[in-house]
Amino acid sequence: MSTNSIKLLASDVHRGLAELCAKRLGIRITPSELKRESTGEIQYSIGESVRDEDIFILCQIGSGEVNDRVIELMIMINACKTASARRITVILPNFPYARQDRKDKSRAPITAKLMADMLTTAGCDHVITMDLHASQIQGFFDIPVDNLYAEPSVVRYIKEKIDYKQSIIISPDAGGAKRAAGLADRLDLNFALIHKERARANEVSRMVLVGDVSDKICVIVDDMADTCGTLAKAAEVLLENNAKEVIAIVTHGILSGNAIKNINQSKLKKVVCTNTVPFEDKIKLCDKLDTIDVSAVLAESIRRLHNGESISYLFKNAPL
Amino acid sequence: MRDLLVLGGTSHPNLTKSICRNLTIQQTEVLSKKFSNGETSIEISESVREKDVFIVQSSCGHVNDNFLELLITIAACKTASAKRVTAVLPLFPYSRQPDIPFLPSLSGAPSISETKEYYTFESAPSTPRPLSRNSESGKELTNNSSSSPLEKKIINNNNLKMPIPNRSVNFQPKAIVTNSASVNFLPQVDENGKTESGYKQWISPNGTLIANLLTTAGADRLVTMDLHDPQFQGFFNIPVDNLYSRPLLKHYIMDYIPNYQECIIVSPDSGGAKRATAIADSVGCSFALIHKERRAKFANQPPSTSSSSMSVSMSQQKSLNSNYTTMIPTTMLVGDVKDKVCVLIDDLVDTSYTITRAAKLLKDEGAKYVYALVTHGVFSGDAINRIKKSGIDKLVTTNSVPQSEHVAILGDQIEVLDVSRIFAESIRRINNGESVSMLFDYGW
Repeated sequence: MSTNSIKLLASDVHRGLAELCAKRLGIRITPSELKRESTGEIQYSIGESVRDEDIFILCQIGSGEVNDRVIELMIMINACKTASARRITVILPNFPYARQDRKDKSRAPITAKLMADMLTTAGCDHVITMDLHASQIQGFFDIPVDNLYAEPSVVRYIKEKIDYKQSIIISPDAGGAKRAAGLADRLDLNFALIHKERARANEVSRMVLVGDVSDKICVIVDDMADTCGTLAKAAEVLLENNAKEVIAIVTHGILSGNAIKNINQSKLKKVVCTNTVPFEDKIKLCDKLDTIDVSAVLAESIRRLHNGESISYLFKNAPL
Repeated sequence: MRDLLVLGGTSHPNLTKSICRNLTIQQTEVLSKKFSNGETSIEISESVREKDVFIVQSSCGHVNDNFLELLITIAACKTASAKRVTAVLPLFPYSRQPDIPFLPSLSGAPSISETKEYYTFESAPSTPRPLSRNSESGKELTNNSSSSPLEKKIINNNNLKMPIPNRSVNFQPKAIVTNSASVNFLPQVDENGKTESGYKQWISPNGTLIANLLTTAGADRLVTMDLHDPQFQGFFNIPVDNLYSRPLLKHYIMDYIPNYQECIIVSPDSGGAKRATAIADSVGCSFALIHKERRAKFANQPPSTSSSSMSVSMSQQKSLNSNYTTMIPTTMLVGDVKDKVCVLIDDLVDTSYTITRAAKLLKDEGAKYVYALVTHGVFSGDAINRIKKSGIDKLVTTNSVPQSEHVAILGDQIEVLDVSRIFAESIRRINNGESVSMLFDYGW
């Protein structure tokens, strides 16, 4: 009697994106209950049978309680696994600990690898993620990982909302040059690069601009914005070099710490983030924020994965 | 010491410190901090290459944060070429499925009970039943399930230190609920997958997951204490040394309880009977047991299968639902405690509902003095205040989780035993490849 249909599960903390995806797929989110014991431990129960179903768990990880979300996710995966789900796909739009992906110091942990191992151990069969900080993280897994791109959605946003003929794409650091150059190619625009010297994590020291930005609308493109210190500094550097205005487009707007303060005080005209990270509460505090909805891409990838169709179409095109 | 390093997590620095003091070694510093987005970052200050590394992390406070911190530290040691990594978890996270659910979940929010002025030790926080997210029905339930107004009044006037026996419950059950299979063809499952018997379908058993995650991170060995389920060891593919606090508790009983041969060891629930009898045997005391029943016992109706009874069962079903509210948990004592000193033994006290209710029952039955010996005193929420006002005269626990806050509130009512010596000795023995089993019997 198995239907092997799509079952979408989501934590009850951040369900915005899951609800959008469910709406697009024309299904409802499978009811489930996450309970926190007084000890801080989590109890999870799924509201209906998942035997032999195709499970998709969408997990949005915002700033703050990353570890709680991670353990929660592990428990959710494991609950589905022990409940005889046919396949468990985890959708992690914003991969946790993606920046700790190498042994940069002696005895530093490669936490991204640990996350990969933990997901596999918990019983995950497939991972869908978006704009991984380093695409090499895919190699940490023994299971298939689909790294989707926000780029098609970003391209559409720039074409629709920005006078893009007069724009220039900026990469705020050398690491993001490839991403920015790719986007500039798609839009047939020029691109410039800001070189920064970083003293410590979450701190930026000095910035040098490479390229000409005078009288242009500068679109800074990055995969992740945390405290937004980099973006604010970059905006200053660009305006010093006679840029007309500065807009930042970021895939994962984690916006932790004094990000909102930094943005409000900065010379950025707008900060645009995709909704991979929940930040509904922050939009109220800052009118410079704008959202790109990527639920269409995720929903389409769920549908394609379930039907066994190719996902590579989504790398270049964003479904409406 | 041969290549021995002891690292401590942020959960219980004092225990790590005293373990290191007992081992007379310097603790290896671990710098644990959080990025602004909430991710944990670890730095180990010394080289761990080819070392035997022990990482101490208890399960308290932010359990998930601490657990992930432990996993990251293990992984860091492992990638930094440590020879062997042993996780020392005095209290093992997710080691039990809690037997008492909390107050009806108010729209799924964490339900830590608040400090109240009066505590009645009559009521369980709630009886397993179809939970709904509807907070209204939950409210109704708490009001009724505790007791009738009259009874409440009596309890409030009680001196809580010496409660007056008052267990004649003046309500008449109306419905038959004991055999749900007879009135339903299918168990009633609500949207959260809970049946009326409290049995939860599709609930995740987390034990295996935690075991696998530890192994995945690279732990080669585990040391823990008084695992709630001894079966837990079987979830692991790596050696797990389960130390016992029993010798410690035994010494406490023999050294500090006057005329300990006269006292009675009591297990607050049937699950802990084995633990309690083991101690009773080793100190030569007699033993009593408190049996907890989740619901009032009603007459049993034979299963009816004929179709004519359908209408009856439907109406019964209705009254059954409306009568959830009148069910109360009953506790009964097996054994005689009159004018005796009672020693309650439990492995983990969290909400303290079970143990305070047990203490009240013992006092009602005429116990002279009630000790509570608890290995892991987590005491979350208002547990400590509940204990302060309960019939427990002396609470004895260990420092497997931090106790300083609890001592500040309870003062003389609490005694904290030191487990760091047991852990230090087991670490020394594991490091030297000696047998750990003598610690099981004699303590340290």
